[in-house]
Amino acid sequence: MSTRRSRSRQSTTSRITDDQINDLVSKLQQLLPEIRTHRSDKVSASKVLQETCNYIRSLHRDIDNLSDRLSELLENTDPTQASIIRSLLTQ
Amino acid sequence: MSPQPSSTNPNSLKIQLAYQFLHNLNNLNSKRSNLATTHIRQRSNRVKIAAYASMAYVVGSRRAWSRAILRTIRNRRMLARNKRVDHKITHRPRSAKRRNPKRDYVDPNGNSGQEVKLRKLVPGVEKMDACGLLDETADYIKYLKTQVEVMKNLVDLYSTI
Repeated sequence: MSTRRSRSRQSTTSRITDDQINDLVSKLQQLLPEIRTHRSDKVSASKVLQETCNYIRSLHRDIDNLSDRLSELLENTDPTQASIIRSLLTQ
Repeated sequence: MSPQPSSTNPNSLKIQLAYQFLHNLNNLNSKRSNLATTHIRQRSNRVKIAAYASMAYVVGSRRAWSRAILRTIRNRRMLARNKRVDHKITHRPRSAKRRNPKRDYVDPNGNSGQEVKLRKLVPGVEKMDACGLLDETADYIKYLKTQVEVMKNLVDLYSTI
């Protein structure tokens, strides 16, 4: 069973502490675009996870939309790679 | 290129991704000579795959999510070479669907619901423990953000030409 497997894995390696999880969750929280509560610390972990899922979904959507637009734009222009890289780097 | 995410210069990361993405796009243009006649859906799909491929190539095999994406791309290439069309793989690259997707991973905080959703969104993390999952997620988000920025810059650039 998968739960038995995951439990035995936890007992052979060191037990994942709450502190470790909290550190990672706060690190994740810093990557998220907005902090909905007025206090930046002590946001609940499940809220951070939920915001993370939403954020990843919105980033995926952004990539889909940008791919659509890029494919349209690429059809019309014939890019010279050097000039594009130059303009990208000077932005 | 520093392995520690916190010390990676965000600008240099963006430039790396930009180079890789342009390289992939160029390959797209040169390989498919009939690009102009293919359906808009397929073109957009190829650009999307190029985007995820860029992220995965820049990171290489250092991360589970990048390994998963590279695996999906190689599978897709092998299938294309065998002249078979597998529509599942042309969508957004995901780790291979397991036969039993409902695993009850419960981390100490009891966030099993959110965790399951997260495992579906980030490639390559199905079997990971909670710490690894959060770490991979943070890395994945960082690269996703930068890739989106690169693509936005490109769209702005092409719109003004």
